Amino acid sequence: MKYILYQLKKHPLAIVGIAVIIFWLIMAFIGPAMLNFTHTQIDSENQIVGPGVNGHLLGTDSLGRDILARVVYGSRSILTVALLTSILSTFIGVILGFTAGYFGGKTDTIFLRSMDILMAIPPLVLSMVILGILGDSTIVSLTLIVSIAFVPATARVSRGVLLTEKSQEYVSAARIRGENHIYIMFVEILPNTTGPIIVEATARFAYSIMMVASLGFLGVGLQPPTPDWGMMVIENKPVIAQAPWAVLFPAIAIASLVIAISIFSDFVSKVLIHER
Amino acid sequence: MNRTLSIVVRRLGSLVATLVVMSFIIFLLVEIMPGDVAQMILGQSATPEAVASLREARGLDDPLMQRYGRWVSGVVVGDLGESIYMQGVAINSILWRRVGHSVLLAMTAFIMFVPLSIFFGVLAGVKENKLSDSIISFFGLATMALPEFVSGVILITVFAVQLQWLPIVSVIPIGESIWQNLSILFLPALSITFVMFGYISRMQRSSMITVMNSDYVRAAILKGMPRKYVIFKHALKNALLPTITIIGMNMGWLFGGLIVVETLFGFPGMGSLLMTAIKTRDVPLIEACVLLITAIYALSTMITDIMYSYLNPRIRFQGGQR
Repeated sequence: MKYILYQLKKHPLAIVGIAVIIFWLIMAFIGPAMLNFTHTQIDSENQIVGPGVNGHLLGTDSLGRDILARVVYGSRSILTVALLTSILSTFIGVILGFTAGYFGGKTDTIFLRSMDILMAIPPLVLSMVILGILGDSTIVSLTLIVSIAFVPATARVSRGVLLTEKSQEYVSAARIRGENHIYIMFVEILPNTTGPIIVEATARFAYSIMMVASLGFLGVGLQPPTPDWGMMVIENKPVIAQAPWAVLFPAIAIASLVIAISIFSDFVSKVLIHER
Repeated sequence: MNRTLSIVVRRLGSLVATLVVMSFIIFLLVEIMPGDVAQMILGQSATPEAVASLREARGLDDPLMQRYGRWVSGVVVGDLGESIYMQGVAINSILWRRVGHSVLLAMTAFIMFVPLSIFFGVLAGVKENKLSDSIISFFGLATMALPEFVSGVILITVFAVQLQWLPIVSVIPIGESIWQNLSILFLPALSITFVMFGYISRMQRSSMITVMNSDYVRAAILKGMPRKYVIFKHALKNALLPTITIIGMNMGWLFGGLIVVETLFGFPGMGSLLMTAIKTRDVPLIEACVLLITAIYALSTMITDIMYSYLNPRIRFQGGQR
């Protein structure tokens, strides 16, 4: 704890990042209860009004829906999906990467080849095509597909850290003791590799936000009436000249969250890897 | 150059495998999903007979493997088939114009972000931990994190809505070619530049710092050579290597970015074509776009690898592992 505080003092920017993340988490939990409008409520007398008019703090869109309510509600879905995605993709990645690296040989070759195939298509294109064909994305399908698109990256990192640990003496000691493979992989080796894996997972969190926002923007993310920041941007883009706030506020929301998480993951990697 | 050859062979092999697996998955997915292409073309009010006869005419009732086989044999001889949704227009006649536009957009972005990010990366690396470094590094971290459409709308608000220097949408008027409308390229390319700048300049910065701290650079400085000369003639040569790899690795993001940016600006490129194809469940068109994106992506990573091994004499001569 003391060490973390010391590190925070050394990297003041990280405090800002963490503060912004906490802000959005609070918004997601209790934000909707503090608002005068709901995210689907249509105020037909106040269409495209600017920020601050008639109680609409951030203005309304062309249907008269409150931008603030939609942004606050939108934080729930994007945080949920991004968090689940980074956990799930790291989880699958560790299992696959560890298995491949631990057993080596044919298992490893099959693993590397199949990862090559997955990596041959840009992750955004892959998830966009599959989600688009599946249609009507839900939190489950979105999380699953984006996780699969991320698995090559997380699995390769896990495999790499396992390979550096594998030759350590405690591993052969465990083997001689007669422990089974799964025990050695996940009870002996895993605790020694948490640093790089946590760093990868926090980096994935930032990527997930970018990805989920982009997918929402492309119209293959969560479907209406769930407000999605990316979707709000493209919905209101046709009226950008009359109502720039309807586009800018969701964009700023994405920007603040993604930048905050990037700063945070940068900090985590500095603390856990470089300055040990 | 044995290593180069082995890279090419391995990559081509995995490319073919990828294309086969991916194209089959897409066929399968469309097969098992609800929604009927024939119904979509004719609209909800179409009679069942009309739908059935259209299915018959397009060969949509044939078994999956037969349709897949027919598609593959067409692709092998360069025939990408016909778009289902656009009433049987040959894909070859619409795709390539779009690809041309996308390539032009990507090239414009490339010309903008490569020199910019290398220059600022070198600057930040040389001035490590000084104010200019902090500013460049923070800017890089921020832009790198932003999805293209976020920086895109900010750019639109500033340059198109407020200043009105550039168009809000990047559409080409009917009957004109893209060469008469070059101004529409600028904002989309700038949005891509923002994202790429972060990755590349940060990489350039850290490799520059490593090189600047190496013995041979210190020796050159102590020898009394002009600093500019040392930085550009001695250090940069070695510091560029990791950057080239990063540029190649980010080609994937560039493609994802193209789709997002084209959708935002309504730019008539390959990405927006793929979007339309997905929304209309136009299998042959989806397949053609994915095929092409995958091929171009694989080709660009392959070129990166070859360039890397060519530029690094240790790999070129020993044929060693990276």
